[in-house]
Amino acid sequence: MNRPFKPYPFSPRRHEGVVPPLVDGCDPLRRPVAIVGGGPVGMTLALALARQGVRSVLIEADDSVCTGSRAICISRRSLEIFKRLGVVQGFLQKGLPWAGGRSFYRDAEVFRFAMHHDDEQSLPPMINIAQYQIEQLLLDEVERHADLIEVRWQTRVTGLEQGPAQDSRGEPVRAAGATLALRTGNTAWRMHADWVVACDGGRSTIREALGLKLTGTTYEGRYVIVDIDLNSTRATERLAYFDPPSNPGSTVLVHKQPDNVWRIDYQLRDDEDPEAAVKPENVLPRVQSVLDSMGETGEWSPIWITVYKANALTLERYRHGRVLFAGDAAHLVPIFGVRGANSGIDDADNLGWKLACVVNGVASPHLLDSYSDERVFAARENLSYGMKSTEFMAPPSFAFTLMREAVLGLAGRHAAVRALINPRQTHAIAYTRSPLNEAAADPAGSFSRGPAPGAVLPECRLKRMDNGSSVDIHLTDLLEPCFTALRFGAHADPAQEHAWQELQATLTRQGIPFKAITLAADKTSQAARPTVLDHAGRLHDMFDATPGTVYLIRPDGHVLARWRDGSAADTQRAISAALTI
Amino acid sequence: MTDSDLDLVYTTLCKTLTNEGEPQAPLYLARLAMLCLTELDDPQRALSLIEAARLPAATAVTA
Repeated sequence: MNRPFKPYPFSPRRHEGVVPPLVDGCDPLRRPVAIVGGGPVGMTLALALARQGVRSVLIEADDSVCTGSRAICISRRSLEIFKRLGVVQGFLQKGLPWAGGRSFYRDAEVFRFAMHHDDEQSLPPMINIAQYQIEQLLLDEVERHADLIEVRWQTRVTGLEQGPAQDSRGEPVRAAGATLALRTGNTAWRMHADWVVACDGGRSTIREALGLKLTGTTYEGRYVIVDIDLNSTRATERLAYFDPPSNPGSTVLVHKQPDNVWRIDYQLRDDEDPEAAVKPENVLPRVQSVLDSMGETGEWSPIWITVYKANALTLERYRHGRVLFAGDAAHLVPIFGVRGANSGIDDADNLGWKLACVVNGVASPHLLDSYSDERVFAARENLSYGMKSTEFMAPPSFAFTLMREAVLGLAGRHAAVRALINPRQTHAIAYTRSPLNEAAADPAGSFSRGPAPGAVLPECRLKRMDNGSSVDIHLTDLLEPCFTALRFGAHADPAQEHAWQELQATLTRQGIPFKAITLAADKTSQAARPTVLDHAGRLHDMFDATPGTVYLIRPDGHVLARWRDGSAADTQRAISAALTI
Repeated sequence: MTDSDLDLVYTTLCKTLTNEGEPQAPLYLARLAMLCLTELDDPQRALSLIEAARLPAATAVTA
């Protein structure tokens, strides 16, 4: 089959590699934060830091955003993060939203899944969007913050040294840091930074420089990943074909992307040579037979072919002195369940506010250990779900293959086994065992439901009171990159109101981002100047909230603490405990 | 059984079966089937499950 390749419908802008003015081969400007790797994780982190007024430098080896087939699924949780960072609009305009999928065994549909979606939601459960588009949208925002984010393109890290910095007399100074050895074109140079964050991907140079190893499970099963150009009006959903007539013995996954790009993944048999398998003459006929079986008759062209092997690996800790790890540099999760880019974006969101608090001098560096604790915990959860998905999608032994055949064959008539076919898509991980929860503990058992400390908030429709009229909003519209106290139906008590105003003033003076929002269940309540109306009472119900209840939310949208009858003093203690942990 | 209970049972069975080894797989599964059927303590249910597990003629497992 002779079918010419087409390029992706995207032309990345090329960027010059520019070396700053050097003194003795070293940039005299010491950076608070150097981020190695300008992918989705590094750029999300730079934006999160910029939102807190913290400067960073992004060091990127390439001269443009990525090309090729990489992440394509962005979860609701990631969209919530982008919403808080002020970049979600572009994602919603470009991405294709979807909410579920279907699985077929041979020629019969045996399973249908729907991700959580209801009338309260403001964001789709998932969108499909190519990684180059993800990166371009983030880069556009990075460039709008050029005062705080500096990008060094075409710059490779060749080494890293940690240690106490020295003053002019050779005495170690209190602020330890790290020195990066860099190369831009033919120029070798050095940069000092207080903190280095490695967002440099699965083959992390920084990880290697520190002699750290990822540990876990590597799977043998291989998938061929093909992006094609095809004009089709078919709906966006996840399609999985097990042992389809078009590719007997194989498993095929199909995803629609924007701009007429389709992603087709299929599993190689154990006896197939992966090198031969990615040759167009072997790939194109299989893609053609998949399209034929789907009834897709339109003209198509291949764009990109690659081979994938699932890994389930992580570092033991994500903080090593002044160096932090995030995204694929910290953990490699299998593609099944789309936790790769999404968990990296969550890493950046968790690290962003903590690192900003440390750099701004309002938190102890120990707060960064909680980044490691929480995100290693999240990685282990993600790995456990990802491994279950992989064991189903790429069975690692005869037993998994045999049992899967049994399940798929039974699933058509026996609903009880169908849950095993569920692709277990990514979801926000609750930090149930976070040291921050303990520091700010609420009296146990005082709530019968609602997000507990460490969990993220469910979405809910609300109304914002605006000079007597009300505007429709969602709970996520209220969240900004700051600590947020949600005060439910607080009674008008001048002393308490004064205490909350004092708290706001104190935290603002200390440079701790904070706001309090008063919610009332109805307009006629005695609430002290309600700013938000929970008109249907749903949020009160979901949060088990009664007048006086306070939920304190972290800048990354996770609950820090909650009180049945909370005060400004409780809130202040909880924030202070978290920052001085 | 919740979905995660089912996951745990399924994965444990797959791993146990892997350790038993492919040649022993039919015997292991036969023993498991006997234990499940006797545990049911309901001959009608047992007979209907024996029928329900039959393979469509054209798709017998070749493994």
